[in-house]
Amino acid sequence: MLAPEQMSRLLIVASKDQMSPVVAELYRHNLFHIEDYVESGAEGYEGFKIGTPISGASEASGDLVKVRAIENAFSIHSDDFEVKTRRNQSELQVTIERELPAIEQEVEGLTGKRAKLDAKSKEYEQKIADITPFIGIPGDLDLYRGYQRFVVFAGYVAHEVSVPVPNEMYFAKGKTGNFIVVVAQAEHRQEVERVLQEAAFRAVSIPDEAGVPKERGDFYSGQITLIKKEIDEINQKLDAIKTKHADFLVACEEVLKVRVEQTEAPLRFATTNETFVAEGWVPSASVATISQALEKTTNGKIFVTELPIDLAHDSVPVEYNNPSFSRPSQLLMDTYSRPKYTELDPTIMVSIVFPIFFGLILGDVGYGLILLAMCLGLRKFLKGEESQQLIAVLRNASISSIFFGVLYSEFLGFPCPWPYLLPSRHLNIGAHATGHGPNIPGLMMMAIWIGIVHITLGRVLGIVNHAQHDHGAHRTKAVLANAGWILMIWGILFLIWSMVPMPYMPDFTTLPKVVLTLNIASVVGVVMLVVGLVFIARESALEIVELPSIFSHVLSYSRLVAVGLSSVAIAMVVNYIAIGMLIGPQLENITLVGVIFIILGVLVFIFGHVMNTMLGILGGGLHSLRLHYVEFFTKFYKGGGKKYSPFGLKRRFTED
Amino acid sequence: MVGEVVVAAITDVELMKASQIGMKALAAAIAIVGTAFAAAIAEMAIGSAAVGATAENKDVFGLVLLLTVIPETIVIFGLVVSLLLIF
Repeated sequence: MLAPEQMSRLLIVASKDQMSPVVAELYRHNLFHIEDYVESGAEGYEGFKIGTPISGASEASGDLVKVRAIENAFSIHSDDFEVKTRRNQSELQVTIERELPAIEQEVEGLTGKRAKLDAKSKEYEQKIADITPFIGIPGDLDLYRGYQRFVVFAGYVAHEVSVPVPNEMYFAKGKTGNFIVVVAQAEHRQEVERVLQEAAFRAVSIPDEAGVPKERGDFYSGQITLIKKEIDEINQKLDAIKTKHADFLVACEEVLKVRVEQTEAPLRFATTNETFVAEGWVPSASVATISQALEKTTNGKIFVTELPIDLAHDSVPVEYNNPSFSRPSQLLMDTYSRPKYTELDPTIMVSIVFPIFFGLILGDVGYGLILLAMCLGLRKFLKGEESQQLIAVLRNASISSIFFGVLYSEFLGFPCPWPYLLPSRHLNIGAHATGHGPNIPGLMMMAIWIGIVHITLGRVLGIVNHAQHDHGAHRTKAVLANAGWILMIWGILFLIWSMVPMPYMPDFTTLPKVVLTLNIASVVGVVMLVVGLVFIARESALEIVELPSIFSHVLSYSRLVAVGLSSVAIAMVVNYIAIGMLIGPQLENITLVGVIFIILGVLVFIFGHVMNTMLGILGGGLHSLRLHYVEFFTKFYKGGGKKYSPFGLKRRFTED
Repeated sequence: MVGEVVVAAITDVELMKASQIGMKALAAAIAIVGTAFAAAIAEMAIGSAAVGATAENKDVFGLVLLLTVIPETIVIFGLVVSLLLIF
């Protein structure tokens, strides 16, 4: 909690003949994060070279490319594939050699044929397009060419023309333009061309066909229908192959991926002629397991040792270490940036505070139930780890939304029968609205209190972070600067409290005066302000320009109220239009027109609340997230940690 | 005579109250409109740059989301001011 998983740096040395079993064992455990060896002549690594792949690497990657090509042709994605039975790896390897080439050949043959048919269909479509203009002109297509003493012009013109030389002309008006065919003696070519040019003539090529244009067009349309039929047949065959072999293909992909990753692992090791050295990271709790397993597989012919960690220079991979209810929130952390190894991991705080903020914004029993139902429904359809995490985050948020809905006493904008326990958000909307209206000062003070507490917490975490990781004079300065910010916030609060009485805040205005017009609280406030300012300025004088952020960041929390109120307002307006204006008056005296109004009212009600639910997810989610990212994290969190990605694979379709 | 003056004075007071409410509502509207436009203009530029940056490198999504929503505080302030004006 509050810190990532503890890591140990492991050094593995063995002779090259032990490479395969060691790699296989490491892969099986899926714990060793390999630190890639780079030939930079680092101290202690002089003369070492990057390793070469274990034999069989290129065959395996060739096969993998084939399998992935077939999967692509079928659009199979292993991520959204249900696991039915797990296959044995060694059996599968034999089957791959026997069956994969056959499947590949079949699929390749079919897809190749389909591509050819597609091309042919395109060609025929082009021919139809070429013939179409001539359909309106009487005369066979072979009559347009083969003359020595005549020239034929065919194309589109802007308007009808009259040619001053002897000719035969056909003119057809169409949607795409006026089509014209002119046949004239060869010696009159120039005159005809000139006349046509004036009418903005665009020539079209005369199709290389014979017969009546319409018949030729119909012939090609028939051909295209036949080709489409053939393509459908091929698609059916491919579908049959897909359903028959999909299981096999995803299993193949997994086995081959395992083989490729294992055989190519030496590319990340340092090697000499006879030995290899692998460096990497393992969770400290698993060091003993890994060491023992390696000793066992190699019969002790291996040297495994833990190296000291230099936190200043080593980039230690980071793996979260959170209780299960906080794990979905890791997604929100990764979206910002993974914590550094030496940093506090605020995931657990995010997992608690994010739903609370969401609930404060979208506190409505009705919307909460809709969201909860949506999450439970989507959980079955969306596959993949990240989507599942997102849904879990949303589920927690919707439960919190229901909880705060009870406190606010709201159901789709209607008041619930019980009294509200938090300041009221019920607006007076509609002509006959009665009631107290919203308790804006109460809501505002609630939001500001939340802001003060959250920001103070952020600064306290900042103190802890700096106290843990900085050294020397800088450490003291950084810790004091964070304390200075806390003093500034509370100093300003003391000053305000001693001057103006405010609801839901302590009232210090009645305290006895000490100096001039200042009472004890104001004096304390001024002292805190001055001390805070000195602390901040000692670390960096430039930070002084950030002082207004004290106000802006605290006031920023008023979005918890503002965004929430706007959502309540939309809900109440929808209710008023749908029920107060459309449905209600008609129910007193039902007529035929009244029924139409009632149906309209129901539609407005549904549409309005669906839209408001969507806005609620966006508003509640993004604004809560922003309060974390901008107002909370900037106080203490840096991020930029490297993801822990162990060498290995969580097998889904196969077993060793 | 006196009665008429009193009635006129009461109507004047009511009118004044009504116009005060109207002015408050207008002031609240101006606060919202101004800040909303400001936030929109600011987010327009940041948003388009953010989408470009995300297209180049998907990892910066979290950071650019943060940068995009920073000006949103302006409109929240506007809303706070208008709420305080009205209630």
